[in-house]
Amino acid sequence: MLKYLAGAALLAIAVPAAAQNITAPDAVVPAGITVQAVMVHGASLEGNLEGNSATREVMVVLPPSYTANPERHYPVIYYLHGFAISGRDFYDYMQVPTAVAENAAAGREFIVVVPDTLTAMGGSMYSNSVTTGNFRDFIGTELVAYMDANYRTIPTREGRGLAGHSMGGYGTLVVGMTHPEAFDSIWAQSACCISARSETPESAAAMAAVPREGADAAGFGMRAGLASAVAWAPNPQKPPFFVDWPLAADGTVDPLVLARWAANSPLAMVSGHVAALESFDGVALDVGAQDGLVRDDTLIHEEMTKFGIEHFWEVYEGTHTDKIGARFNTLVLPWMAEHLDMGTE
Amino acid sequence: MLRKFVAALGLMAACASPAAAQEAARVNWTSFHSPALEGNLEGNDPQRGVYVITPPGYDENPDRRYPVVYYLHGYWAAAPAQQEGFRLHEAVDAASAAGNEVIMVMPDGYSRFRGGFYSSGPTVGDYESMVARDLVGWVDGNYRTIAAPASRGLAGHSMGGYGTIRIAMKNPGVFSSIYMMSACCLPPMEMTAESAATIEAMTPEDIAAAQFGQLAGLSTLATWSPDPQDQSTLKVDTGLRADGTLDPLVNQRLAANSPLVLLPQYLPALNALEAFAMDIGDKDFLLEGNAQFRAELDRFGVEYEFELYEGDHGNRIAERIRTEVLPFFGNHLYRE
Repeated sequence: MLKYLAGAALLAIAVPAAAQNITAPDAVVPAGITVQAVMVHGASLEGNLEGNSATREVMVVLPPSYTANPERHYPVIYYLHGFAISGRDFYDYMQVPTAVAENAAAGREFIVVVPDTLTAMGGSMYSNSVTTGNFRDFIGTELVAYMDANYRTIPTREGRGLAGHSMGGYGTLVVGMTHPEAFDSIWAQSACCISARSETPESAAAMAAVPREGADAAGFGMRAGLASAVAWAPNPQKPPFFVDWPLAADGTVDPLVLARWAANSPLAMVSGHVAALESFDGVALDVGAQDGLVRDDTLIHEEMTKFGIEHFWEVYEGTHTDKIGARFNTLVLPWMAEHLDMGTE
Repeated sequence: MLRKFVAALGLMAACASPAAAQEAARVNWTSFHSPALEGNLEGNDPQRGVYVITPPGYDENPDRRYPVVYYLHGYWAAAPAQQEGFRLHEAVDAASAAGNEVIMVMPDGYSRFRGGFYSSGPTVGDYESMVARDLVGWVDGNYRTIAAPASRGLAGHSMGGYGTIRIAMKNPGVFSSIYMMSACCLPPMEMTAESAATIEAMTPEDIAAAQFGQLAGLSTLATWSPDPQDQSTLKVDTGLRADGTLDPLVNQRLAANSPLVLLPQYLPALNALEAFAMDIGDKDFLLEGNAQFRAELDRFGVEYEFELYEGDHGNRIAERIRTEVLPFFGNHLYRE
């Protein structure tokens, strides 16, 4: 618990200027929990223009009975991290081993998997991009296939849940909508990037003026903008960022670039993915009342309601980060247990 | 699933007796049930009409299996009128004469407002899955197909050319080769407050009397900006607000259905195709949208074949299905 609080404090202060990416102290690993840091190669990620590694570290947390029951198969929760943090630091910060142990103690045994998608700009946005790598497909197909081939998973849709926080909440929604066949139920925590980003000519020009070697120090907000731009409007012919900035040659905002950004906003995607969203056994969204994203997340709650998509929705007392680990442990995993095929002992 | 497969085998065995020789392509106008269309708000029938054209020799060779070319027709007219123009059986006959026996399938893509755009939404229905899932499953279950992506091609004209690229992008691994003819709707459709107001002012009589250009805006809006809560029977969100301005979300939804806009997210699906072709007539009103789309394919290094031929939007489609499209699939689809 102490460590958890320390992590929260760190997250709160670790955002500024030059430090770029958030780190967290090592997670506590309770007795009986096995953690394996495996390297998973993604053909989907090969040849990306940012030079992001096509082999990703994936934290695999196995439940207590895994070793002792060599015949048993387990449901898997794929848990997607947020912006400017590695998969391992997110796993540490969220105290994933403790969540797995406490749920197992209550009879809910899961494998939880945290893939790393940290990129040159601070995060993959879980999108397909020739610039960053095809992370949407990597998560929705290759990582799932890797887990099913290498672990005793329940290798069906009914045995898989998808969850994530912030950029990972966004990833949960877009990977879920575009790969609905892979997952049974999805939970987006404090999802970012729900409504379409827009720019003024001035803000677009500011983005286009960031030097490539200065991107790391551009600050959290600008880096998030750069990461979004390279994920959603890549251009293989425009080094060094390999991106189309939202700025036309005449200094106005480029409508095709903004259209591409919009087409990647979950809010604009819902109406075209109603069948996919309805196909899930469970859909859940939550966000803290003190989170700046509460307004945006409310919009997608309303859009889903408008389209008759049943979902759990809660605005709780909290910020963007202070309750997320506890809620993953006490709400997300128990909810997943109600929806997924939990297998038999 | 297994039971269904066994039942399908039984059905095939029952129909396969070579009683009557099939010397020419046979046109079957039949129907199949599409769960993807159930519950749509326009009342479009989930029991879909479909043409299945079997090649000469289909009956005499009860053990033989065939590749399938799925063809998506354009806007405005239902499948029977489209087949009158396309004469798909003549293309299948010509292909057979060249040693390229295929089954050709054309589902009815018509809707309340004359076309479902092979897209997915609650108002019109999930025409995309109607094709990519329900139709393919039904054809494989009821005809002697080679039931594998390597032996499935997808092509279409105009709205069907749009459907071809959309379905290929969003449903990888169903079709291995695609051919877009005179594709519509590649750049995003754009709504203005004025066009939204025009659509909202349309009476049922206006809609009934609307010409192509007047109705197309409504048809695409119903497909791409549906609204189950709409108080009118249209069940669309035009985005027109009480103060006369337009909700930008409507244009964002339209953008999210534009192949030109969506392209970067779906490159892996297109790069995985065995073969990809596009064509268009040099007098086609859709030339500009096609040129923009090709420029983007080129920029992202997607390989495809392209031909600009002398013609307009519709005057050479039947001919080119026969002389270009089926020979293209003959070169690329796996056959036994």
